[in-house]
Amino acid sequence: MLTDEEIRNAARDALIQASTTFRPDQLKAYQMALERETSPQGRWVLEQILKNAAVAREKRYPLCDDTGIPHVVLEIGEQVCMSGKAFQAVAEGIREGLRDLPGRPMAVRGEGLERLGQTLGMYDDPGMLEAAPFGLYWTFGDVLKITVLMLGGGPEIRGKTMRVFHRHRGENVIEEVGRWAAEAAAALGCTPCVPIIGIGRTQYEAAALQLAAALEGDFTRQSPWEAKITEMVNNTGVGPLGLGKSVTALGSFVKIGPARASGVRIVSLRLGCCFDPRRATVVLKDGGD
Amino acid sequence: MKVKTPVLTEVVRRLKVGDRVEISGPIYTGRDAALPKLCRAIEEGELPKLGLQLEGAVIFHTAVSPAGIGPTTSNKVEIEGSIPVLSRAGVRVHLGKGALRAETVKVLQETGAVFMVTPPVTALFINNIRSRRVAAFPEDGMEALHELVVEDLPAIVAIARGESIF
Repeated sequence: MLTDEEIRNAARDALIQASTTFRPDQLKAYQMALERETSPQGRWVLEQILKNAAVAREKRYPLCDDTGIPHVVLEIGEQVCMSGKAFQAVAEGIREGLRDLPGRPMAVRGEGLERLGQTLGMYDDPGMLEAAPFGLYWTFGDVLKITVLMLGGGPEIRGKTMRVFHRHRGENVIEEVGRWAAEAAAALGCTPCVPIIGIGRTQYEAAALQLAAALEGDFTRQSPWEAKITEMVNNTGVGPLGLGKSVTALGSFVKIGPARASGVRIVSLRLGCCFDPRRATVVLKDGGD
Repeated sequence: MKVKTPVLTEVVRRLKVGDRVEISGPIYTGRDAALPKLCRAIEEGELPKLGLQLEGAVIFHTAVSPAGIGPTTSNKVEIEGSIPVLSRAGVRVHLGKGALRAETVKVLQETGAVFMVTPPVTALFINNIRSRRVAAFPEDGMEALHELVVEDLPAIVAIARGESIF
């Protein structure tokens, strides 16, 4: 049986790693981007981002001062036993991770309209920042996978969730969301970006699939429709930090979910920034006793 | 190119779009909350009370939190809207990210100021900061106007002499 302490520590460690460390596929994407980028200013930006990743990893500093809102996904093996307090243990691990990092103290004080209007300011304690509702999936075997994704604010401003008429051609859906991403890329600022997309039957499902796309996405494995969206964004010529020219998107992550018998698909786009997806997974094995 | 603060007029005059610079010396920070307050203080003749040295100043559009610093988007209404007043008050370098409007490009040219951008490389910036203190508007917390002493803070000139890289 997995103990609450193991689960708490795993959530904390995943948060710190997601916030400070580029994954191998991300590093590879940047190295390939440096080879492709033709603008000297754009190359300079890519080099700065790679240097930043090296320092962040070595010193355990945050990659970005917008440390993001924690999103947790639990993949629970069918043979895993854990107590009903496991979810509280994850929440405690998130709180510890935010204090250790330290995260940006951006939990807003007050209730109702005061919270909406941010009229009472923020809590000083980074640990007051609540994680978003957890995502839950089952998996095979005796492992519990705890993944933490840290979602910064800029990409939320540039994203949207909306219906798209497919007109009985799948490419129409991909091209429409590709246009959304291309239009928003210049305004994002923190390019190169990564369009992260979920496609489902309801607004809720599309947003959950968008997070699943961030969970599974790999820059070194791109489907033809992901490559198409990346190409559309790169054709804008916005380039790193908007300074031009070749690399506006590092890649795209698309998760296509179930479809409804209908003329529309619900599409949810997060136009991820140059650090997206900040993601790390810690795997716990249930020894059985 | 190394740029020391306060930035001299002849140094700004030499800068052109695409130049890479490293900024050293005291700089100010401010974003949505603090910059409109600073503009109001200037317009109401209250600047001397704040004890800030705006002649030749660099203003970095960032919050200063325990997580570090990093540029916010400069074309937000309250931030871009502060550029004309601050430039006329002596600010020579506005540092942030994102494209600015044609009218702002013109104001920068008229006032002899420039706009620089820098990537959100928070881990690198931690090594550039020598000291930090709240200089004005402490009620804004991490968005208060801070004075940072920096060494070799990297940036690139995005708007200068009426030209924009965007």
